[in-house]
This record gives sequence, structure tokens and C-alpha cells, in this order.
Amino acid sequence: MTEPVILVAQVVLMVVGCLFFGVGTLGLFRFSDTLCRIHALTKIDNLGLGFIVLALLPLAPSVTAGLKVVLIWVVALAASATSAHLVARAVRSGQRADIEKGSRDG
Amino acid sequence: MALLRAFCVRAAAFFLVWWVLTEGDSSGLGAGAVIVLIVAWFSCTLYPPSSHALRPVGMLVFTGYFILRSVIAGLDVVRRLLSPSLPLNPGYLRVKTSLPEGGPRWLLANTLSLMPGTLSVRLQGTSLELHCLDLDLPIDQDVRAAERKVAGVFGLGEAGTEESAS
Repeated sequence: MTEPVILVAQVVLMVVGCLFFGVGTLGLFRFSDTLCRIHALTKIDNLGLGFIVLALLPLAPSVTAGLKVVLIWVVALAASATSAHLVARAVRSGQRADIEKGSRDG
Repeated sequence: MALLRAFCVRAAAFFLVWWVLTEGDSSGLGAGAVIVLIVAWFSCTLYPPSSHALRPVGMLVFTGYFILRSVIAGLDVVRRLLSPSLPLNPGYLRVKTSLPEGGPRWLLANTLSLMPGTLSVRLQGTSLELHCLDLDLPIDQDVRAAERKVAGVFGLGEAGTEESAS
């Protein structure tokens, strides 16, 4: 009796997760500047991956396999936060260099 | 003594990760134990133990807060993205943090990158530059809340921030 319920819940979570990834990618096209695009990618993908991890957990054959999936989410989060920060810092340094160059030229 | 304690805690944490990665396969545990000891020794040499010990209760509170705010952050960006008028008011904001250097500040910066409407751009000393999707949001309040949770993880006292627009 419970199995079909779990299956339906898994499919729903999986579809929701994929929708989040789709919307996050849409952010690349709709937002105009780099930093807003990073906002869309990091935050929406974090949530999308979270939903997919939740969908996979009931399928996990053992406790360790489940923990492994959760570990993937945690590591992906750390990587996405760090790379977002690095890209943002590079963009900001570029902007500052442009401003300084502009004030020297003008 | 602190070094020995850090070594044991780290070795235990690494062994847990090894156990999870090998999905509990008992044939890999012996090799894992050797590798874990080497990695723990390297980690203690490269990153000597700091005075900030992790608090289990604080970590649980932080995890709950983080998951809740992640959902809000994702839905917030989705809402802005899907509304036809694209309601954004992006800009930079500089906040001061009173969290000590090292782990606590790094955790705050990375956490804020995944929180609603903020992205940490540059961390210089106590000053943290954020990029905000919407400057009308109560950013300062959110930063203070995140800072309190981070302080809880490391067992630190009340931490306050001062906001100044740049």
C-alpha cells in the first residue's frame, strides 16, 4: 500500500527538482548581468539538487548509500557557493579596474 | 593536547566520509583506516587546530536554518525570474562582521551566497561586500541572523554587524 505512495512522491519530487534546474537555466537568459545570473544559478540549482536528493533517498539500498547522496548535495553546495564567490570577485575586480581606467582616461 | 584532540576528531570525521564513500564495504575499511590517519595528519599540519570548536547543537540549529532559508532563497529567485516585469533592484552593499577570522568568517560568506538575495563578493578583514538582488530587502537583518547562527556553530557569543552603503 505504501509503495505506490512513495513512488508517486519520488516522481513528484524529481519533476519539481528538474523544473527548478530548468528555471535556473532560464535565469541565464532573462537576467542581464553576470552577478544576477549567478544568483539564479546558485540558489535555484541548490534547491533543485535538494529535491532530486530527496527523491532518491527512499530508493537507497543502504544507509551508507543514502548518506552518500546527501554528501553529494553538501559537497555540491560548498562548490557552488565557493565558485559563485570567486566569479563574483572576478567580476567586481574587473568593474573596479574599468572605473579606475575610465577616471584616468577621462 | 589540543592537537591530539583535533587529530582524533578529524580522523573520526574522515573515517565516516570513507565509510560513506565505500558504502560500508568491509573489505575497504583496513585501507581506509591507513589513508584516514595519513590524511588527518596532513590536515593537522596544513590547517592547525584553531580555538573555535564545533558545537553539535549549534550545527543542528544552523542546518535547520540553512535548509529553510535555502528554500526561501530558491523560491524568491524563481518568483522574480518568472514575473513578467522582472522585479530587481541590484546593487552592492558592504557589511561589517564581528566574527573572528578563519572558519567562522568563511562559513558566513559561503552561507550568505546561498541565502535569499545576497551573494558574497569580497571578504576583506571584517568587511564583507555583498551583491544584492534587491536592495529593498532587509539585508542587514538577514546578515545578523545568519551571523548569530554561524556564531552558534562555533560556540561564540553574540555577534553584531554594522551596515554602511557603498
